[in-house]
Amino acid sequence: DGVAILPAPQNLSVHSTNMKHFLMWSPVIVPGETVYYSVEYQGEYERLYLSDVWIPSSWCSLTEKTECDLTEDITATVPYSLHVRATLGSQTSAWSTLTHPFNRNSTILTPPWMDVTKDGFHLVIELEDLGPQFEFLVAYWRRESATKEHIKMVRSGGIPVHLVTMEPGAAYCVKAQAVVKAIGRHSAFSQAECIEVQEEALPL
Amino acid sequence: GLRKCLISMDTHHLEESFQEIKRAIQAKDTFQNVTILSASETLQSIKPSDVCCVTKNLLAFYVDRVFKDHRELNPHILRKISSIANSFLYMQKTLQRCQEQRRCHCRQEATNATRSVHENYDQLEVHSAAVKSLGELNVFLAWIAKNHQEISA
Amino acid sequence: VPCVSGGLPKPTNITFLSINMKNVLQWNPPEGLQGVEVTYTVQYFIYGQKRWLNKSECRNINRTYCDLSVETSDYEHQYYAKVKAIWETNCSKWAETGRFYPFVETQIGPPEVALTTDEKSMSIFLTPPEKWKRNPEDSSVSMQQIYSNLKYNVSIRNTRSNRMWSQCVTNHTLVLTWLEPDTQYCVHVEAFVPGLPRPTRPSEKQCVRTLKDPSSEFKVK
Repeated sequence: DGVAILPAPQNLSVHSTNMKHFLMWSPVIVPGETVYYSVEYQGEYERLYLSDVWIPSSWCSLTEKTECDLTEDITATVPYSLHVRATLGSQTSAWSTLTHPFNRNSTILTPPWMDVTKDGFHLVIELEDLGPQFEFLVAYWRRESATKEHIKMVRSGGIPVHLVTMEPGAAYCVKAQAVVKAIGRHSAFSQAECIEVQEEALPL
Repeated sequence: GLRKCLISMDTHHLEESFQEIKRAIQAKDTFQNVTILSASETLQSIKPSDVCCVTKNLLAFYVDRVFKDHRELNPHILRKISSIANSFLYMQKTLQRCQEQRRCHCRQEATNATRSVHENYDQLEVHSAAVKSLGELNVFLAWIAKNHQEISA
Repeated sequence: VPCVSGGLPKPTNITFLSINMKNVLQWNPPEGLQGVEVTYTVQYFIYGQKRWLNKSECRNINRTYCDLSVETSDYEHQYYAKVKAIWETNCSKWAETGRFYPFVETQIGPPEVALTTDEKSMSIFLTPPEKWKRNPEDSSVSMQQIYSNLKYNVSIRNTRSNRMWSQCVTNHTLVLTWLEPDTQYCVHVEAFVPGLPRPTRPSEKQCVRTLKDPSSEFKVK
């Protein structure tokens, strides 16, 4: 009945960076034909309580691509089982399941991009907009007293945020790390950036 | 006390997931004169020291009963319920650590509050009860957000 | 006089517009009745109670809104409302809202913002938004008393450098020092509750100019 003639996709793997999760697999090659793929997932809840339930992914039902963005589906910090199958006309392959369930707490967190500027004596930082789950821990200090580090939590990226009112003539340095409370982890710090402040204007 | 068993969680995401299914789920609930959580006015009168226990009990109510009793065919709604269910599972694990350190003690008031929720649930046919409880998730989420917020800086 | 139900099309887009717990039911007239003198009657329901209740001030009204703030003032409860259109002996079926939960769904209005400046600094004074109250003489309740983790996002634009930056604060006074003298700064503020996704309403933009620096012309090296 044409069910398992088509080979199942192989080499499943998940690539996850900054809480964006992609399932990838090797293509099923049928010369001269377009093969489509469908992905389903099962969270730990379904595995424990509704083991027969697999949920169709948001974006990957009968897709030609050999990767699937599961970011909107993997939304809890629990293990998710993932499987994919191929379809060609009436032929459908068996499901191919990821060897180990994926947990988003294994995502790679990269140091955030940041733009450190000043408006007069005001130190301003704009951080990379990585999405609503990200906050940023920003450390800043006067270059000449590097030991005295100040910390500020910045709730979101994509908007310029006031860090500190600087003292005339001083130089300030800043570094930042991305924080994801939902998985209890943070990235490494970014490279520090320093900025000089003008002296206060002298009377003419 | 209140701050000992804080579960740092993504209420924003949970609330968004619920908002996406609220209208569809609540529209299936035709018994407007009956409530499950809301009837227990006691939810509003839970003392800080009982917050951890009531949270743990209501998470179990949803995980062990509601999500299991509700069978959803619409894939979009299914995904959102799955998202909430798996988040509740994670919160249970977090609270489990509190339990082990005996900071989630259950007093009689907390147990009574939970019992009245189960009793309300049992008054209805199971699928109606599950749909109604899903429709009242916003009451539970608002109560969690109110009682589990960190002390603002 | 009982009317023939279903003789008219229902009102449409029936929703609650809720800001700081002022809860106003609003709707659009039924389609296809332009020029017809339609009136409306409203009822409301407290989720978990037994019966639909009349809103006497909104019986046979011409307008397409009805203030139900009094009836929905217990913001920990949830509510429904419905409206029907009436014209002569005909009336529509009821048009009903979804379940309305003021505690979660009310929009947080902007705080009151007062600004003072001198040559190089600006003080921003915030007064928390006030919860709707039944009578003007009733004592005021701040939205901060309902949402204890209410925060403010203060946005400041230096119109000379055209730079904009923001600050998230919880207290009600923010002093910005070391500003540029004789420069216009524009400010707007929005109040928000972390954790609950709800639309916010920024305050009107207000602009003030820092004073001239009497001792010198301020010159940036």
